[in-house]
Amino acid sequence: MVGLSSGEKHFIQGGIAQDLRSDGRKRLMYRPISIETGFIPQANGSARVRIGATEVIASVKAELGKPNPLQPNKGKVSIFVDCSPTAAPMFQGRGGEDLSAELSVALQRSFLGGKSGAGAGINLSSLIVVEGKICWDLYIDGLVLSSDGNLLDTLGAAIKAALSDTGIPKVNVNAATSPEEPAEVDISDEELFKFETSGVPVIVTLTKVGRHYIADATSEEESQMSSAISFSINKHGHICGLTKRGGSGLDPSVILDMLSVAKHVSEQLMMELDSKISAAEACEAE
Amino acid sequence: MRDMKELQVSLNQTQKVRLQTAIQQLEKFTARVSSSADASVTVAETISVNHEEGVLKGHGTSEVDGEIVATLCGVVEKVNKLVYVRTLRARYKPETGDIIVGRVIEVAPKRWRLEINFSQDAVLMLSSMNLPDGIQRRRTATDELNMRSIFEENDVICAEVRGFQHDGTLHLQARSQKYGKLEKGQLLSVSSYLVKRRKQHFHHLQDYGIDLILGCNGFVWVGEHVEVRDDMITDDQENKPELSKPNFKSMSLEEQEQTYTPLDTRQNICRIANAVRVLTSLGITLTVDVIIATVEMSKTLNFDIHEMVGAEFYVQVAEKEVERRSSSTKKK
Repeated sequence: MVGLSSGEKHFIQGGIAQDLRSDGRKRLMYRPISIETGFIPQANGSARVRIGATEVIASVKAELGKPNPLQPNKGKVSIFVDCSPTAAPMFQGRGGEDLSAELSVALQRSFLGGKSGAGAGINLSSLIVVEGKICWDLYIDGLVLSSDGNLLDTLGAAIKAALSDTGIPKVNVNAATSPEEPAEVDISDEELFKFETSGVPVIVTLTKVGRHYIADATSEEESQMSSAISFSINKHGHICGLTKRGGSGLDPSVILDMLSVAKHVSEQLMMELDSKISAAEACEAE
Repeated sequence: MRDMKELQVSLNQTQKVRLQTAIQQLEKFTARVSSSADASVTVAETISVNHEEGVLKGHGTSEVDGEIVATLCGVVEKVNKLVYVRTLRARYKPETGDIIVGRVIEVAPKRWRLEINFSQDAVLMLSSMNLPDGIQRRRTATDELNMRSIFEENDVICAEVRGFQHDGTLHLQARSQKYGKLEKGQLLSVSSYLVKRRKQHFHHLQDYGIDLILGCNGFVWVGEHVEVRDDMITDDQENKPELSKPNFKSMSLEEQEQTYTPLDTRQNICRIANAVRVLTSLGITLTVDVIIATVEMSKTLNFDIHEMVGAEFYVQVAEKEVERRSSSTKKK
């Protein structure tokens, strides 16, 4: 937990009211973002994303599994987040569990859509190998390495980058001789297919401090927040998920106001992430 | 306490090349300055002791085949017969008379405990600081009860190192009006080796209306300038600190907004803070002159305040440092 004196708190609040935050940013500006992709060779896709001093790693691992009998034509995706004790001493032992669970739920809500899998950021039908029998299970793991506020946005960006880095091996299925026997599966090492990731949303968190709200809050600024809303918004400007944190309530008109601001911010963030991801992939290819 | 949050920049290809040439040139200067070649060592490097007899191996050293070998990266220090390695990223090591900035973590009987980036917490006794009324007298039980009206938990304080007591605890003192609570500003924490001991650690930058305190422990305070009250002239009207000091908690939002730092002062504070952040991430020793030069450079080159922590300014500061060092070596 960040300890701040009343004078420093007042200074931070004043900065937000005057639209000049402690590091010189305006209210809706993000800190510098840097992205690195494909640095975990064991994973199918991985990314390290840094926003300011917040640093996270996301990895995507694909395994062959059996689809859910209720949705025979869809693959399965699960998202888990772990907070490393290197980020903060309070994450030691079981200390980070609450936060990890909160982040995992928020990310699942943002990326995975409804229970039926409808409206998910990733096209789940593309994960199917043999309908009703074999599909790819995606395990998306996030690891928080260093925490300076705005974890959810950073994790969202990392998952987006990791997914666009992910290559799933092509699978050749030899038709089973009898219906009881399992089909023979041949996983190709060379041929990979990439996901269509343009539908993956970005997460924009607006933190309300005083009567104003800010994007990309540092942990110092987060300690002064009254409430925060995370919007996950896709390329078409549609909202895929919404999470509110913090105890104090918000007026509905304020939420609508934040919503339109978040939509505007998400467009810029989406553009920046897309260009950074493609730059990182070009760098990796070299 | 907060860890060191260092700036990390992502450079493009040309910026990388420019930064590398700048760093190479800087390395040439340092090689010329350092007299002995083994002043700084890395792990497993031999420390030459010129075959002296009875050398004492200190921290960060080990003996392998009769030679002393460094087990840490850092600077070799020799005190009489003792040889040890001082790492650069180490914690702060206090010396008597250092001016430091710290944060109160506990109000204990007759003392405050402060976090100062040292291996233990520093102690500031109630008896080793001037009372707000400026009168020299014995501290009573009432004074002890009112300690929180002077400093609370989490307050940022500036003080001086008084010395180590017999039991090894570090004691501070604040016997002047220039020491005390710091408000209306931001605290930056940098590696303590970047702040060297000097005559002056308090800087009132008149052009900017700002107080800059470079604490020897690596805590840097950048805040709005506060006029130092001279305790000799305190008369009865001024003698009520409770009334003159604004209490942020009890104020409404509107009242608070009136006491906010004026925008132009805030711009200066943020500019200086970002200059410190850039210089720190480049590992340049912090002095007032360098900080001011960086601020002025950002202004003349029309960098926005938030752009100062970006890649382009980072490289330009490195190049400026090369220029500064080459001109200072020419003068010699």
